[in-house]
Amino acid sequence: MKKLAIALAFAASATAIAATAQVKPEDQVKQRRSAYAVMGFNFANLAAMAQEKKPYNKEEAGRSADLVAALSDYPRGHFGAGTDKGETKARAEIWQNRADFDAKMDKMITATKALPQAARADLPTLKKAVAEAGGTCKACHDDYRAK
Amino acid sequence: MAAAGPAGRIVVWDAPVRVFHWVLAVLVVFSFVTAKIAGAWLEWHMRSGYAILALLLFRLAWGVLGSSTARFSGFVRGPGAAMRHLRDIAAKRHAVQPGHNPLGGWMVLFMVAVLLTQAISGLFVDDEIATQGPLAVKVSNALVGRMTAIHSFNEWVLVGMVALHVAAIAFYGLALRVNLVGPMWHGTMPASAGTQAPRIASTFLAAVLLAISAGFVYWLVVIFPKA
Repeated sequence: MKKLAIALAFAASATAIAATAQVKPEDQVKQRRSAYAVMGFNFANLAAMAQEKKPYNKEEAGRSADLVAALSDYPRGHFGAGTDKGETKARAEIWQNRADFDAKMDKMITATKALPQAARADLPTLKKAVAEAGGTCKACHDDYRAK
Repeated sequence: MAAAGPAGRIVVWDAPVRVFHWVLAVLVVFSFVTAKIAGAWLEWHMRSGYAILALLLFRLAWGVLGSSTARFSGFVRGPGAAMRHLRDIAAKRHAVQPGHNPLGGWMVLFMVAVLLTQAISGLFVDDEIATQGPLAVKVSNALVGRMTAIHSFNEWVLVGMVALHVAAIAFYGLALRVNLVGPMWHGTMPASAGTQAPRIASTFLAAVLLAISAGFVYWLVVIFPKA
């Protein structure tokens, strides 16, 4: 019991350290952009199958969907203070309407986490999931991403 | 070919110009709406854009080879003529001539330019989600980015342009009592003394030019990207 408590306390403090550790803004931007880039290429691959521009392949779709789903909650923690500058298309409105931005981000995360299962089901299911996830990307791009 | 209108009327707009105009109007609205709905409708947005591009190319050719009221040489006048027309309207001594007035002529050029900008930039757009213009794969990402920015900015230039176009027609109808919509629909206007009837070009020629334009756009968006 005591061991468990110590372990929990340790885990909690480790999490706290990770959360408060100062990643410099420039690197935060780099990290979220890297995640978005890999998500973008793989989501485009799913979209190409959904739009029947390339043949639907369960295995390949599954791999792409796994990558998108694995990375989709990664950028969320990399929109800290000072990351509205530099090589980014993030608009200042993100920090002005943070609650709305976070809500849209959560919707995107939820929708993308459904992709791996849908990608391995069948093409109609994939189409539906891609449309849903694509809509959550667009919702944020429209309001919070510079053109 | 002689302009054979009903008695007391002359043909001012040939059938190709009228079909071009109304199909274009419907497609522009359709493109705007499908861009707003987005999602699966973007496929139709793109098809609509290809059709608009083909229509515009046809209109450019018709502006050289078409009826006298369709030809650029017939309605493109200097800025001085456009200003005089403005003053004439203000003084209510404007003459109603068959074809575009000097101010309307500039508006036609402006509209064709804005629509061409929108249709051509659209070929290179990437929404960085799930939709790409057919030529985006053919050029650098830097150019794709610029084209995407142009496409999204020019959208609002286009909306303003349509509003100006409709407002001008409403102004002519309500304030000047000149009906511009009727002639664009049925093609004719009352013949007043001394007005020369426009020379109307062959509809068959128009069909050939439209087929060539459509064929070129098909090659550009379907065949060339795969090459």
